[in-house]
Amino acid sequence: MAQGATKRSHRKKHQAELDLLPVMNLFCVIIPFLLLSASFLEITTITMSQTQGINPSAGGAVTDLAKSEEERVQAKVVMTDQELFVGTAFGLTSVGRSFQVRDNGETYATFDFDQLEQMAGEMRDTLMNHYDIEFRKIVVLTTETMRYENVIRAIDAVGKVGFTEPGLQVAPSGSVEGEAERGLQ
Amino acid sequence: MSAPSKRHVPLLLGYNKTKAFSRKGDKKAGLNLTSMIDMFTILVVFLLKSYSAEGQLVTVSEALTLPRATSEQRIEMKLEIEINREAVVVDGDPVVQVDQQLLSTGGPIPSLVTRLDDHMEYTRQMKGTITEDEQKINIQGDVAIPAVLVQRVMASCSEAGFSLQNLEVIKEEGGRP
Repeated sequence: MAQGATKRSHRKKHQAELDLLPVMNLFCVIIPFLLLSASFLEITTITMSQTQGINPSAGGAVTDLAKSEEERVQAKVVMTDQELFVGTAFGLTSVGRSFQVRDNGETYATFDFDQLEQMAGEMRDTLMNHYDIEFRKIVVLTTETMRYENVIRAIDAVGKVGFTEPGLQVAPSGSVEGEAERGLQ
Repeated sequence: MSAPSKRHVPLLLGYNKTKAFSRKGDKKAGLNLTSMIDMFTILVVFLLKSYSAEGQLVTVSEALTLPRATSEQRIEMKLEIEINREAVVVDGDPVVQVDQQLLSTGGPIPSLVTRLDDHMEYTRQMKGTITEDEQKINIQGDVAIPAVLVQRVMASCSEAGFSLQNLEVIKEEGGRP
C-alpha cells in the first residue's frame, strides 16, 4: 500500500528530439547560393519618344494642323539653369528655383521634383477635362549643361502622373531661357 | 621517456556519447539550434523573394552610376551604349572620348553613327530584315553627364536607325504600374 510508485512512474522519460542537422546542412547550402545569385538592384528602363527640335522664333508651338490635339497642346517641362517650369505651348508656370545639394562629396543644382509631380498632375487633369483625350506625351526641354540625373528625375516625376511618353530636347541656355520667358508672358 | 600526454577528450556536444564517458549525473551538453533555424528560415524566405530566376540581363559598369527612377518597365537584352564621364562605349568598346569639343556642339556624333550603322548592317545581313525589335537600343548614362551628351548619343542612335531608345535606371520603390 505504501509502495505508491507504480512501475510506470519508474520508466525513464524519453524526450522526443528533432534531428535538425539535415535542415542546417540544407540551409548552409541554400543561403550562400541565394546570396551569390541575388540581385538587390533592379534595372528598369524609360522609353523615350522622338521629338522635334525647338524653333525659338515660333515660340515652340507646332503649327502643323495635321498634328493631333495632343501634339498641338505640347505639354512640356522647361529646365533652365536657375528655374523649373511646367506648362504647354500656350503658357508656362514656374515650379521653383534650383537649389544646391551635396551628395557623395559632390555639390550640384537640383529642383523640387515633388512639386513638379503635383503641378504636372493638376495640369494633366485640366487638359484631359478640356480636350477629352488621354495626354501621354510631354517634352522635357533643358539646357546643354543640365545634369542627366535631373533630366531623369523630371521625366520620372511627370511619368508618375501619366505623361508616359517623354521626349528630350536640349538647347543652349539662351534658347531655353528665351523659351521660358515667352511661356511666362 | 616522454611525458605522458594529456588524455584526449573529444568534443561530443551531447552526440554519440558512449557508456565509457557517461557517468551517473553527467549532464548532456547540447546546442540549441532552434533560434538559428528561425533566423535561417527568415533569411531563406527573404532571399528567395528577392531571387530572380531570369537573372540580371545587364551588367552596369563600375565607371558609372545610374540614376534612380520609379519606372517598372522591364529591361530587354539589346545593344548597349554606356555613357560615362570619360567615354561613350558601345557593346564594351570605347568609341568616342568625352571632351570639351564633344560637349560644345549638338547633333549626331559621326564616329558613333558609323559604329551603330555597322551593327545595324550586320544585323540586316544576319537576319535579312530589320524589325521593330532590332531598332531598340539601351542607353546607360552616368548621373553627372551633361544633357547635351545624352542628346547627341540619342541623335546618333536615331541617325543609325535605332529609333526606340530606352534609358536605363535603377528601380526605386513607389513606382507606377
